Amino acid sequence: MTERKGPDTSGRNEIRELCQQFPHGITDQVIQNDMPHLEPQQRAAAINKLLSLGQLDLLRNSSGLLYRMKDAQSASKMKGSDNQEKLVYQIIEDAGNKGIWSRDIRFKSNLPLTEINKILKNLESKKLIKAVKSVAASKKKVYMLYNLQPDRSVTGGAWYSDQDFESEFVEVLNQQCFKFLQTKADMSRDSKQSPMVQRNSSFATSHEVWKYICELGISKVDLSMDDIETILNTLIYDGKVEMTVIAAKEGTVGSVDGQMKLYRGVNPVIQPTGLVKTPCGLCPVFDDCHEGGEISPSNCIYMTEWLDF
Amino acid sequence: MTAQEVRLCGLLLREHFGEVVEKVGTHLLRSGAQNLRTIIHETGLPLDLVKKSLCVLVQHGACNFRSGRKGPGCPTEYQASGDRILRILRYPRYIYTAKTLYGDTGELIIEELLQRGHMTMSSTVKTVADRLTQNMEEGRSMDYSEVTSAFSKLVETQFLQRCPPMGGARNTKDTTPGTPASTALLTPESFPDCYKVPHITLIGRGKRRHSSDDGEDQKSAKKAKMDPETHGDEGIYWQVNFERFHLHFRDQAVISAVANKLDQTCSEIVRTMLRMSEVTTSPSATCTKPLSANEIFRSLPASYNILRPILDQYLTLLVDDPMEFVGKAGESGGGMFVVNLHRALANLARATLESAVQERFGSRSARIFRLLLRKRHLEQKQVEDFAMIPAKEAKDMLYTLLSQNLVQLQEIPKTPDYAPSRTFYLYTVNQLPTARMLLQNCYKTVANLIERRLFETKESKRLLEKSQRIEAILASLQVSGAEPEQLTEVEEMITAPEKQQLESLRLHINKLDSAENQVDETMFLLEAYVSSTATSTA
Repeated sequence: MTERKGPDTSGRNEIRELCQQFPHGITDQVIQNDMPHLEPQQRAAAINKLLSLGQLDLLRNSSGLLYRMKDAQSASKMKGSDNQEKLVYQIIEDAGNKGIWSRDIRFKSNLPLTEINKILKNLESKKLIKAVKSVAASKKKVYMLYNLQPDRSVTGGAWYSDQDFESEFVEVLNQQCFKFLQTKADMSRDSKQSPMVQRNSSFATSHEVWKYICELGISKVDLSMDDIETILNTLIYDGKVEMTVIAAKEGTVGSVDGQMKLYRGVNPVIQPTGLVKTPCGLCPVFDDCHEGGEISPSNCIYMTEWLDF
Repeated sequence: MTAQEVRLCGLLLREHFGEVVEKVGTHLLRSGAQNLRTIIHETGLPLDLVKKSLCVLVQHGACNFRSGRKGPGCPTEYQASGDRILRILRYPRYIYTAKTLYGDTGELIIEELLQRGHMTMSSTVKTVADRLTQNMEEGRSMDYSEVTSAFSKLVETQFLQRCPPMGGARNTKDTTPGTPASTALLTPESFPDCYKVPHITLIGRGKRRHSSDDGEDQKSAKKAKMDPETHGDEGIYWQVNFERFHLHFRDQAVISAVANKLDQTCSEIVRTMLRMSEVTTSPSATCTKPLSANEIFRSLPASYNILRPILDQYLTLLVDDPMEFVGKAGESGGGMFVVNLHRALANLARATLESAVQERFGSRSARIFRLLLRKRHLEQKQVEDFAMIPAKEAKDMLYTLLSQNLVQLQEIPKTPDYAPSRTFYLYTVNQLPTARMLLQNCYKTVANLIERRLFETKESKRLLEKSQRIEAILASLQVSGAEPEQLTEVEEMITAPEKQQLESLRLHINKLDSAENQVDETMFLLEAYVSSTATSTA
């Protein structure tokens, strides 16, 4: 009996020792060199046994297959799980912090859907993996390892909390930034200095705005300067703010790649145009209105209300 | 001419000249150039009525005639010009501008000329002097020379111009047939004497018209028509130069935009620059002639005594502004500066479009609209990200804008078959077609307002007639010296609710009138923008 066990276990033990010697992994060639007496079949059997026991990791690199020792902790985690679970766990681990969708797990492991679901529930209860709802498609759930932080693309970054777009938060930030820029512009206008100085003092760099918002403390999450710049861009699209880029020395606070973005509050160029002061300019049924039809200027209710205003 | 423009022209003609002229005018607008017989046949009106309507239209410059296209010997053809008829809407603005620039005298001169179409200088001066004398106190009257000097000032600044002499088909028959000059439409500017004031002998003062002279006045009015008195300017007729007024309005729009965006001093500088280049810049120029900073400094109004370096700073500020009202064209003379007219018009038109979208659909839709104007082509996901609007709402707003044709969809296929899952769909805004569409909406809006006004007047016709009768009775009673009790008795014939109804009717009509003027301002901006792009691309 011992005779039979002998060559098997020794082969395994030797491979294990080799792995411990080379923590980065060993190739098949190395094992062959070390144990020339071991036949390829026996070698393969020993490696497979170690793999199934979960003591060895199988990796692939450019030159071929690598065998690496798995650490004791992770080895102990998987004790009691069977092969399929280990496979699924491996796939999820490989997905990193972007997570992987259940259908993709099915493709990679070729397991039927029911099996996958059972395994996923099992792993979740063991607190090895977790499900994170993706912000792009609200019904989709991606799985990732329990202790990993989900990537920004999945959670949506600072503007999403629990997969909901925080529009009130964005609105509040919008108004705060605008007020800051507007007061700065008003102060510079009242200072009555020469026009050039007036204009330059009404500008604020994106860094200044970022500091102001951070100090204001209205945000629960930390906002980066890029986040503030996206908010300032929406103010530009509202027509309330204009932006210029100036060259700045590398190293001055807030400069990115030798440039700085400056923002300034502006006034609108024209008053609301004449067309919108009439009911026709805002009428929802403008295209259906004809003289002599159901909707016509003579019996327009919007006009009647407007005339009696 | 689009259907909306024809409808608006018809309404304007009906209000100012009557239904017969409206019928002839709209028929000509719809069918292009036609000769007299065809017009009579197709409108079904009798010959003399058609002739009179054509006379009225020609007198006001709304209709041109020329010899037939099929060669000499063909009857003359008449063509109506819709643009000229649409100008009728802008008459109040012209009169108001003349009043602000040249006082009451200028206002009345322009008013008379607009009402009559073409007039000689002497008859204009006489009529205006009489009207001014009417409003002055007893014993004072207006001297002709004052009115003449106001008239000459108007001609100098090119607000008035001579009408082009009518060569007519008759002349071309006598001269060589088929002269090319007769087929082209002659502009008033092609004549060298366009702005030359003729030397007239006109000495006298305005005559005051008393109500007791009513009978005599009618006789003298008839006599005036056959008045053999000549003043040396027979055959020289004057008309209002609308293009010059439009240039003035455009300058005003640019100046007020600069005042809104920057500050008062900057707008004064731009006003000076535009004033200096009034006569040197052609109407369709992209930008004014370059002016050196020295010249601008010298021409600033005396009340604005700012130092030279401060002026330089202001000019640099104007040049650096993203709206690009003023550009730098060179360094000589302390810097050469131009006013970018076409770019300023484009910016103003863009602001008009944005304001229209904002008022109609809300500020978030306006944000999406401005975003698309800036970034040209964007996918739906990108629109949501840049505008920071939740996906569902952004989708809704985009589709609303798309259904109103303010935003267009551009498909870029990845595969030769336009499979929807493999195509990029990009949203975009084209400024020029959108401006044209908004302009057509303006025409329809003004037509709606006029129709509503006519409807309201028609509804209360009975009431208006009654109030007019009562006023006439009151006036005649007052003249014949009645007692106060009789007057109050007549006044009480109108009951209190009727008085209220009349009052509200008056308010309604005023509101509709002022709304027409407001929409006309939008119309002017958009028309100026569209025509400026037409000339720059041509």
